Amino acid sequence: MIAALNGAFDDISKAVRLHRVWVALAHEDIGDQHRRTTLGPLWMLVNYFAFVGTFVFVFVTKDASDPSYIAYVAIGMLVWFYLTETITMSVSLFQREASFIQGTTLPLFVYVMRLTMQCIIRAGYSLAGCVLILLLGSYGINSNWLMSLLGLLLIILATPALVTVFAFLGAFFPDSEFIVGNMMRVGMFFTPVFWVYSGQQGIQKYAYHWNPFTYFLESVREPITAGIFPMHALAVTGYFCLGLWALALLLLGLYRKRIVFLI
Amino acid sequence: MTSIKLNNVSLVYRLFEKLTLSAPGRRRSALGGNIARSGTKQVVQALDDVSFELKAGDRLGLVGPNGAGKTTLLKVLYGIYQPSAGTVSIAGKVDALFNISIGFRPEATGRRNIVLRGLISGWTLAEIEEKVEEIIDFSELGDFIDLPFKAYSQGMAARLAFAAATALEPEILLMDEWIGAGDASFQEKAKRRMDELAEKAGIIVLASHDDALIQRVCTKRMVLRNGRVESLT
Repeated sequence: MIAALNGAFDDISKAVRLHRVWVALAHEDIGDQHRRTTLGPLWMLVNYFAFVGTFVFVFVTKDASDPSYIAYVAIGMLVWFYLTETITMSVSLFQREASFIQGTTLPLFVYVMRLTMQCIIRAGYSLAGCVLILLLGSYGINSNWLMSLLGLLLIILATPALVTVFAFLGAFFPDSEFIVGNMMRVGMFFTPVFWVYSGQQGIQKYAYHWNPFTYFLESVREPITAGIFPMHALAVTGYFCLGLWALALLLLGLYRKRIVFLI
Repeated sequence: MTSIKLNNVSLVYRLFEKLTLSAPGRRRSALGGNIARSGTKQVVQALDDVSFELKAGDRLGLVGPNGAGKTTLLKVLYGIYQPSAGTVSIAGKVDALFNISIGFRPEATGRRNIVLRGLISGWTLAEIEEKVEEIIDFSELGDFIDLPFKAYSQGMAARLAFAAATALEPEILLMDEWIGAGDASFQEKAKRRMDELAEKAGIIVLASHDDALIQRVCTKRMVLRNGRVESLT
């Protein structure tokens, strides 16, 4: 176990030293995805506005003009898009990187960080859109935003672990790419992204309390929409973060050298 | 002192049975060749008791039929595969050319690809900056260097890959087959550079099916069959 963890830390430290590689490749990835388009990466901002606008318009009746609901959806969408994109892209990560893994000696964590960086850059565009919506919705910048930033940082900290865990899952269980993709699509409706939980019973109660994504969302959203320090949400997110990292380190330590034979 | 020493190196790896929802009968590969069964597991004996030693200036050609273990041996030397038995001792900076397109992005220009390839190979930005023009000159790509890589012919891609891989004068250069991709004048130029590398006390290991190429470039010849060394002359 100790040897495995040492191996994982060694892989991570080598990858950190090669930060120029994954930062450059992530930028190239984003550039390639939008090459030859008129708006370029700004399409990500347009997509974000389109989704937030649609959900606010379609799913809301009397609250549609309520700025707090618009902020609720805007922050919910920001975090949900980030999580869903990170997870669905992670499952096929090692297959996508097969030629690199089989042809170079780059540490496995370089690929994890390449995807992490890519997801953060993409989320940056959504974040710009979210900030604009909040400012237009009379949510001036105040100290609550700092509390919200804490939640965002915790999610970013959990991202490499999340990527690692799902990348190994995809390598060992190829069907998981489709299972996870479908679950994330359905998961949006079981997560309080656009619906508000206010003590309802039944499935909404379980979907709110027993869904880990709830806490990821609330740790960012509560400070701005409710003006409170999200102690409970941050604590649960923190525990998830620790658990994910423990699992990621174990997987990386035990299987990083075997991945080359598996993809 | 640049050197490679392998002592009784074997590589046996398990064919992982991926968790899948497909029918059990469709999950396993057929047995045969180097694939065997160990208990309930399927294993591949990719290398079997391989020992040899190379010293500065040696140019080793690896020959053998498909599946003999040539590429596997190169990947063991490069550190992609860890041997399951035996020891590998390597002294010297290693670079490898297994696949022309590795590290090259189709949409990026040749110039940008030199930077990316350099970063992937662990070069510093200063080293990259210092070598960019030299790589462009050697590759003879001219104005094409600022066009996307996907616009290049196979020969142009090979020239750029070779120029980038040899620019920092690796002490040990591992190459797999592809060198035959370029035209005759490029092959002659590549051979001259390999001669220069070898003369600077380097080691070159080249895997190929082309006996004429091996004879032209290499000073030693190793025949591999079923993962074992059949002869080393």
